[in-house]
Amino acid sequence: MHPYFKEMAEFGNPLKKGEIKRTEKNLEALKAEEADIAEAVQAVENAGFPAEKINARGQLTVWQRLEYLVDPGTWCPLHTLYNPAENEEGTTNVVDGIGKISGRWAVIIGFDNKVMAGAWLPGQSENILRVTDLAKRLNIPLVWLVNCSGAKLPEQEKFYANRRGAGTPFYRHAELEQLGIPVLAGIYGTNPAGGGYQGVSPTILFAHQNCNIAVGGAGIVSGMAPKGHFDLETAETIIEKARQFKAKPPGSVKIHQDETGFFRYVFETEEGVLDGLKDFMKKIPAYDPEFFRVAEPKAPAYPAEDVYRLLPLEPKMVYEFDAVLSRLVDGSEHMEFRPDYGPEIYTGLAKVDGFLVACIGNRQGYLGKDYPEYADYPGFGGKLYRQGMIKMNEFVTLCGRDRIPIIWFQDTTGIDVGDAAEKAELLGLGQSLIYSNQSTDLPMMLVVLRKGTAAAHYVMGGPTANRNNAFTLGTAATEIYVMHGETAAVATYSRRLVKQKDAGKPLEPIIDNMNQLAREYHEKSRPLFCARHGLVDELAPIRDLRRYMEAFAGSAYQNPKSICPHHHMILPRIIKG
Amino acid sequence: MSEEILAPLAGKIVKSLLKVGDKVEEDAEAFILEAMKMETPVYVPCDGTVQSVNVKVGDEVAEDDILAVIE
Repeated sequence: MHPYFKEMAEFGNPLKKGEIKRTEKNLEALKAEEADIAEAVQAVENAGFPAEKINARGQLTVWQRLEYLVDPGTWCPLHTLYNPAENEEGTTNVVDGIGKISGRWAVIIGFDNKVMAGAWLPGQSENILRVTDLAKRLNIPLVWLVNCSGAKLPEQEKFYANRRGAGTPFYRHAELEQLGIPVLAGIYGTNPAGGGYQGVSPTILFAHQNCNIAVGGAGIVSGMAPKGHFDLETAETIIEKARQFKAKPPGSVKIHQDETGFFRYVFETEEGVLDGLKDFMKKIPAYDPEFFRVAEPKAPAYPAEDVYRLLPLEPKMVYEFDAVLSRLVDGSEHMEFRPDYGPEIYTGLAKVDGFLVACIGNRQGYLGKDYPEYADYPGFGGKLYRQGMIKMNEFVTLCGRDRIPIIWFQDTTGIDVGDAAEKAELLGLGQSLIYSNQSTDLPMMLVVLRKGTAAAHYVMGGPTANRNNAFTLGTAATEIYVMHGETAAVATYSRRLVKQKDAGKPLEPIIDNMNQLAREYHEKSRPLFCARHGLVDELAPIRDLRRYMEAFAGSAYQNPKSICPHHHMILPRIIKG
Repeated sequence: MSEEILAPLAGKIVKSLLKVGDKVEEDAEAFILEAMKMETPVYVPCDGTVQSVNVKVGDEVAEDDILAVIE
């Protein structure tokens, strides 16, 4: 199929002199936003004890372990700022992302041993759910760096139980294993109770010589004689038992290698554990990339840095989506699907690192006075109309048939509304797209370039509306909300304004409420809010978007559950005609 | 030789950056038009001097109206 894929049509143009000059402020503004995000990321990385203190105990920090474990240049962090329960520690206390180990992609997650020796914290199980789902969706191994002191006991009611609570990773590990997805675990430190199950539930255990895993730790063993109260006598007993178990906590290597054999391998050094994981990753089933590549990998013809000029931070400003995409795909080449239909939506095939991917994105700006054809008002990009919705349904369905992973790019203000839109079946077509997405059973990735709004955020590959979204990225320009804050204020208070007016009462209190609501919408839609509350899985610097696309494509093609031979694909033929 | 800057769509002028006699460069921002809650920039089509500006901020324009002329 090289006539189709080796060299596709080029798109995009170099920036012109005037364009560079007038976009200088936008570039500076986006980079300033990214600097704020980087500062927040730094704070998470610095949470807890300093690295020197951990190193002085003869241990590496989770970040140092990751640096040693992951192939240089391949780490794509996820959920760095995720902290849905707003923990005072500033973190859910796990660090995760996608990276290559020994040349193979894996989902990697570790407890932050700088913070309460890697304790369970509120929100952590939601974080781990995203990670196990990611391994499942991409069908790649999950690699754990276990170092978990168990629950943060004073806050256990927030996470211990519940359908999505802290124990759920154990059955999710079982679920992955039943799907043939291995879970490898390097185990460090003291891992009692929840930490013990974190340690024992993976597929193969690589233990550090000083680690332990146990049903209960020293704290539980020494405090198991409830009398209804504490007194001096019980305090003395607790002290004695605690001393004894501190010296010799249960579940050491002596027990779990020599007696139970749970630990497959034991290593004397921290690095030895990681070397063991690296060695085993070489044994993981993975296709050589050549098996699925449709062309030699190529850098885009134009620099990713251009996107800082092409993507306006100002949410009302229109821009050219195709120009942005041309900075992200191999050779700035593509095959556009139905360019003469549904002009508000781009659909096309492109290559990322030599792999075929499908791209879908919102085009911006005026669509001409005759579009949408069903209405007497002009169409504007960012909105979804009948043709665009039909085109996405067709494209997604064909991608499912041809087994082509999909990368979505959202900058949408929503689906067109009003009786004309209803007559044009947009409600039904939106749900059709949700059905189409769910039917594909394909890995999908979403980049919310700027706006993710209303049901359009769902139907365009959003994580809320399908099981196929592997991860969602935001940028420094991202804002996500059900509708714009001012629109919400009007929807909430318009009738109140009428009543107030009719009653001859002052309007100012209502206006104050409207302004307050609009301000709150703004604050609760900003990139940092989106990342902390999991509306996106990570805020990626714009210059790193392609790296994440490469990680996604490489992961999706590493060990796919189903294959469409290139010469059996129908979508490229439909595009060619 | 002169070149006209046409309104690409109907809308309201919310920003006008040209003055008669200004030297301008191709692709500099000339106007911003607001329609459907979105702002559409209109760029200078060529290097030259602004010969006339036919609109001001707040004006409603129709598609293809001549906004300015560059000489």
